[in-house]
Amino acid sequence: MNLLIDEKTCIRCGACVEHCPGDVLYLDEKGLPFEKYPDDCWYCGVCQAECPVECIELLFPYLIR
Amino acid sequence: MENVEILSTDFLILGGGAAGCMAAIKAAEAAPSLDVVLMEKAEISRSGAAGRGMDALNNVVIPGVGTVDEYVEALEIVADGVLEPTISRVIAERSFGVLRKLEEWGLEFPRDSKGGYIVGSFHPKGRFLVEMRGELKKLLAKRVTASRTKVYNRHVALAILKEGDHAAGAVGLDLRQGVLRAFLAPAVLLATGGAARIGLPNTGYLHGTFDCPWCSGEAWKMGFEAGAALTGFEYTATSSMTKDFNGPGLSTFIRHGAWLVNGLGERFMERYDPVALERAPAGLRAQAMLQEIRSGRGPIGFSCSHLPEETIRIIEEGIFETERPTMRDYFMKKGLDLRRDPVEVVMSEVYLCGGHGLAGFVGDAFGETTLKGLYAAGDCLANPYGFLVGAMVMGEAAAQRVVSLKENRPQNPNLKETLEALQEALIRHKRGALGVSVKEFEYKFRRLVNEYVAPPKTKLKLTRFLRETEGMLADQEDLPAEDFHQLMKVMEAKAGLFSARMAALASLYRTESRFGLYHQRLDFPQKDDLNWKTRVILSPGPEGAVARKEKP
Repeated sequence: MNLLIDEKTCIRCGACVEHCPGDVLYLDEKGLPFEKYPDDCWYCGVCQAECPVECIELLFPYLIR
Repeated sequence: MENVEILSTDFLILGGGAAGCMAAIKAAEAAPSLDVVLMEKAEISRSGAAGRGMDALNNVVIPGVGTVDEYVEALEIVADGVLEPTISRVIAERSFGVLRKLEEWGLEFPRDSKGGYIVGSFHPKGRFLVEMRGELKKLLAKRVTASRTKVYNRHVALAILKEGDHAAGAVGLDLRQGVLRAFLAPAVLLATGGAARIGLPNTGYLHGTFDCPWCSGEAWKMGFEAGAALTGFEYTATSSMTKDFNGPGLSTFIRHGAWLVNGLGERFMERYDPVALERAPAGLRAQAMLQEIRSGRGPIGFSCSHLPEETIRIIEEGIFETERPTMRDYFMKKGLDLRRDPVEVVMSEVYLCGGHGLAGFVGDAFGETTLKGLYAAGDCLANPYGFLVGAMVMGEAAAQRVVSLKENRPQNPNLKETLEALQEALIRHKRGALGVSVKEFEYKFRRLVNEYVAPPKTKLKLTRFLRETEGMLADQEDLPAEDFHQLMKVMEAKAGLFSARMAALASLYRTESRFGLYHQRLDFPQKDDLNWKTRVILSPGPEGAVARKEKP
């Protein structure tokens, strides 16, 4: 897991999913974003930058932390 | 056929990075009635190698500061004597126009106290690097959207269509709906980037690469299969990068005067290139860095502790706010401070790139490849060290050419057979008879690249790579893909393997050493200007790729 998404703050707008250049993020049945393909993340931070309510924290993958 | 849609357009752009976006903007500006389609694998406001940001334009010829001739001379040094200067000259001539346009559109180019641009040096000679701030990619995407360009996001391009010996469009897969969408077009621009996922990085992650990992050589595989020639594939580049994070910063550090130091605190470039120092050609600098590590004088890093606070702030602003903002988080989590700590750097995995190296399509002054009607721009075009400016200039140049030619739309392209072949391929991947994941497949060929293709090279190693991967060419057709995302990754892996094999072929063919570390042949350790001061061209032949010298 590369991201920590604060579900309480998330407004379920889907901006992170729409812009993710790696097609990593998808919305679950509750409309919340999740990392469907975490292996394909480049920790570029587009999701974080596009989030209007700043609910995404970048953790970085474990091997490089 | 089910799930197929056939459309037509005047100009089809594959890839909505900086090059593709600029081409769309230029086409709309030059010919408002022209129908333009842009197909993008991700979403254009954040896609491509510059999707997250860039803190400078590396190569702008500013009137009064540099000249076109000086730029081409600098590139001759960078390309170690095998520069074909046509494209570099076009980039130099049009670079300032692109800067002015971006400035007019709202991008910020900080000025000095006298009102001039802040120009730094990065090349072995001359000053061409201009500081830049702002969200370049979002700005370009906004202008594309405002034009009449029809944008198809989340579409992965699969094959080029042809009508005789002329490009006639392309087929893409809609990643959300699973529809195969064919666009017939008399002009096609390939702008889907270079190939980042060639060597295996030491981060432990297949996508933990130096260059944008979603660019995987797809343009090269598609274009070559359609008949376009490639060059520069023996230039297997590696870059110095922040250890573990694999982040950029090389150019930012170098142009602001950071030193490369070894574990003993020595500024070691004094030993390898006392004149250019850190600004030595990339291959030579890479060789020096590796030599320091191998001699037990590592770890190596960029040291900024001698720089004034004002300069350190500019470096931080460039890297942390524009180029790769997540690097700030990373530095914070690691407790790194440029004022105090050297930033440890390691050499990246090998990659292939037209704008950050020499690999790419052979193109003319408009980026037209050796296949009529098929253009290339950005990192898939051999535009030696053209960087971001090269991508935007060549995107514009291709668009202008297409507008001026106004060719008729294709009447009888090879659509039926292409669609049938693609549908058959998709069915096989859905079946996935190989029973091996695409992750394993990709890991395997990239591990082999590290072992046999990454420098230093030998005939034995390169031949071994080609032999070991021969069977993988058959295997790849039965890789499983459970969904469209997986299918995209299968296509990326196939294109990556194709690109790696081209690198092995070209490396085998050039029987000399050149480009510093990048093409170091242990069995031919000398540079041989008499026989090899030429580009190596790879062309498709009946039995596969054929290598030849551009100048016999």
